[in-house]
Amino acid sequence: MFMTNPIKITLCCTFLFFSSINVLQSKPFESTYQPLPAEKILITNASIYDGDGNEFKNTDVLVQDGKIIAIGEDLPVPEDFTIIDATGKWVTPGIIDIHSHMGVYPAPGVRTSSDGNEATSPVTADVWAEHSMWVQDPQYALALTGGVTAFHVLPGSANLIGGRGVTVKNLQRTTINSMKFPDAPHSLKMACGENPKRVYGNRGQAPSTRMGNAAGYRKSWIQAEGYLRKLTEYEEKSAEAKELEYAPRRDLEMETLAGVLKGEILVHNHCYRADEMATMIDIAKEFNYKITAFHHGVEAYKIADLLADNGICGALWADWWGFKHEAYDMVQANIAIVDQARNGTGCAIVHSDDAIGIQHLNQEASKSLAAGRRAGFDISEARAMKWITSNPAKAAGIYDQTGSLQVGKNADIVVWSKNPFSVYALAEKVFIDGAMAYNRGTDLLPASDFDIGIISPTKNRTQE
Amino acid sequence: MKKDWLKIYLVSIFGYALIAFSVNAQTIVIKNATIYDGLNNSPFVGNILIDQNKIKKISTSNLQADLVIDASDKIVTPGFIATDTQIGIVEIGALSVTRDDSSNMYKIGFSIFNGFNPNSTLIPWNRSNGITSAITLPNNTSSPIGGLGSFFVLDSKLDVTGTSDMVMIGEFGGSSSKSRAEQFSMIEDLLVLASSLSKSDINSDLELSSLIDEWAISNAMDLHPRDLRALYKLVNENLPLIIKSHRASDLLKLIELKEKFNLNIVIMGAQEASLVAAKLAEHNIPLIFDPMNNIPESFDELASNIQMASKLEEAGIQMMFTVSRSHNYHLIRQGAGVAVANGLSYEAAIRSLTSTPAKVFGIEDRGVIESGKIADLIIWEADPLEPSSMPEYVFINGENIDLTTRSSRLRDRYTKKLDKPVIYRD
Repeated sequence: MFMTNPIKITLCCTFLFFSSINVLQSKPFESTYQPLPAEKILITNASIYDGDGNEFKNTDVLVQDGKIIAIGEDLPVPEDFTIIDATGKWVTPGIIDIHSHMGVYPAPGVRTSSDGNEATSPVTADVWAEHSMWVQDPQYALALTGGVTAFHVLPGSANLIGGRGVTVKNLQRTTINSMKFPDAPHSLKMACGENPKRVYGNRGQAPSTRMGNAAGYRKSWIQAEGYLRKLTEYEEKSAEAKELEYAPRRDLEMETLAGVLKGEILVHNHCYRADEMATMIDIAKEFNYKITAFHHGVEAYKIADLLADNGICGALWADWWGFKHEAYDMVQANIAIVDQARNGTGCAIVHSDDAIGIQHLNQEASKSLAAGRRAGFDISEARAMKWITSNPAKAAGIYDQTGSLQVGKNADIVVWSKNPFSVYALAEKVFIDGAMAYNRGTDLLPASDFDIGIISPTKNRTQE
Repeated sequence: MKKDWLKIYLVSIFGYALIAFSVNAQTIVIKNATIYDGLNNSPFVGNILIDQNKIKKISTSNLQADLVIDASDKIVTPGFIATDTQIGIVEIGALSVTRDDSSNMYKIGFSIFNGFNPNSTLIPWNRSNGITSAITLPNNTSSPIGGLGSFFVLDSKLDVTGTSDMVMIGEFGGSSSKSRAEQFSMIEDLLVLASSLSKSDINSDLELSSLIDEWAISNAMDLHPRDLRALYKLVNENLPLIIKSHRASDLLKLIELKEKFNLNIVIMGAQEASLVAAKLAEHNIPLIFDPMNNIPESFDELASNIQMASKLEEAGIQMMFTVSRSHNYHLIRQGAGVAVANGLSYEAAIRSLTSTPAKVFGIEDRGVIESGKIADLIIWEADPLEPSSMPEYVFINGENIDLTTRSSRLRDRYTKKLDKPVIYRD
């Protein structure tokens, strides 16, 4: 008994010792997210798209402690559980948007909070979108009424390398850290094509051409390789050797890029044209990093097999086009073609990039599905539901926690009035981590501070 | 062997005859259609006879024609009319060489009519999605009112069918360069000047030029005789003025202007209209807005609300829809669907896409299914307010329009005949 105690003490102190080191060198900006108080809920008799490609009828979902604890037919009704009768209704995972600028381009769209593009240098890998996000953006609550439970916020596309993106829970809080999705990796925003070359070319500086763009990415990755090599060399040194020299000086830009090379930060690449996407794939191979998703990719259908072969998702619009030359070749079946590539191994995502579109991602998926079927593909609604749930969850690196209705996952759930592939379907109830965050027709609707008393002192903006 | 040849020969003769027949078809009947006529009638099942470019007859009894199209269980509507587009004057948004939507020279009388491109790819695209005619508007000019829009039939004919300069545009509200109070005074001054013009004035450029010098406002704004002629039409010929404005208090100021100068005002955007719905209804002001736009995008639009359409219907306001983004003007269908999901009646939604724009903008021969009207018709594969549904047939001026688009060609190029190199595919 006595003998074991010193070990215990040692373990305990070692733990304390390391944790104090951790405090000293703690990563800043960690998530401090706390869910709403968990409810005990049984959703009964629902039609379900589970987000993993399956459809179930007359099925129940049991929720406790923020998690899904059972899914099945005729689940026994436990005591103390709130029962939500979903007869005639549809249940899906919470919708996830992989491309949002809410918070960094909040409403109202005024100069003073337009914080999405650090357009002062073509490479700004050092900036983080979360440091721009306005937590009082009134758009989050509107997205919630469309069933959105999590979204990924990116810097804009003015720069070749625009900075780090962040994934957040759609639960408005007073600080950004308390909205951050726990354990979600950071992303890196990169941009091809017209935007960077226009922004910097107009100033008479590089890049002013697409070849200038390509050179710009490659120069940055060469720098990052050098930085990572120095870092690795130092870390591999013995403790004695380390005492004799300083650790390599920190460099915010390089930390982000090295994070990509180490596979810790996911690359999300704004890129419209097929030929440019192919070039970006070559650059990724040259420097041995992975592109998680191409965003916007109006021409993704032209290289759908290449995307599937390289395990790259296409995060795309249903039908936007024509606002610039690289967005001219729009095909409404784009998403379906990417999805169906290489025998259905493609990864397609419907994204919004828009505070209106994010509220109707189910309708955007519906348009894409219909266009895919018209193009001759046999795609089920259950599969199309993946485009706005599990696939964006995977691309955001949070699929182990959310993005589909599976036992053990976060209870991020939407109850729809009708089949969500209909324009008439409304998200009636939205749960985040097993707590109701929105209940249509009641006063359970988040209001940001911006919304309070701004038209009439006694009312909220969205109340009449 | 011989018999087979004969068969093929006969089949091909018959096939050609059928094609020739349908191309030259004088009359067409759309049979057993579920008809939403765009008027106040409930939908009914009936047959529509198209003769030349007109709807000749609508009947529940059998009609004879050269070509009969069975539309059983299909919805038929008038072709949809988009009221806020840049179709034909902007091909690619970010490419100024493909844009013909603004003027440095003319501030009020700027007409886009002569810049219209009937071969724009936006025309087949929007048409294949159910838009058969559209009002094309210029960009706002530096004047608070000014710039003339035209109506176009989307038939892609180089000999353009349309009505030139049938609407003026304007903007009133929050702006980085001018107080809205200054904007209001400028509009007032321009309208006072317009009211002073006589018919004989506007027929003489010389007379107008000297008036421009005499009046402080036209002098200060460096106006041109064309500008004054447009102003004259606004005040004396009931030219509709589509004025973009949002804030509730601004909408009331526009009512004031309407009454003072007897203007034919249509308000666009109107994100705070539900706060002053009764007043807008009382003064019979139609609205054009995006029913999906519930974003408080500016400090003028704080009351933006997804239920606006249903509230305006309750107040008895005539409404039409627009979309917040370019090129896909057909998405007014999705907007209408969203409005219905949020309380607007289905019939009102259909009217907003058909008879309301026809009535408000004097497009008298289109926008409804009625005998004697021009046959702009859509046979829908399913509910037209579901954005997933598409037209099966589109008739414009009674002509059965091919629904191929550049977009559908690109789709087929990358999904069909994959054994050939891309450049040799269709």
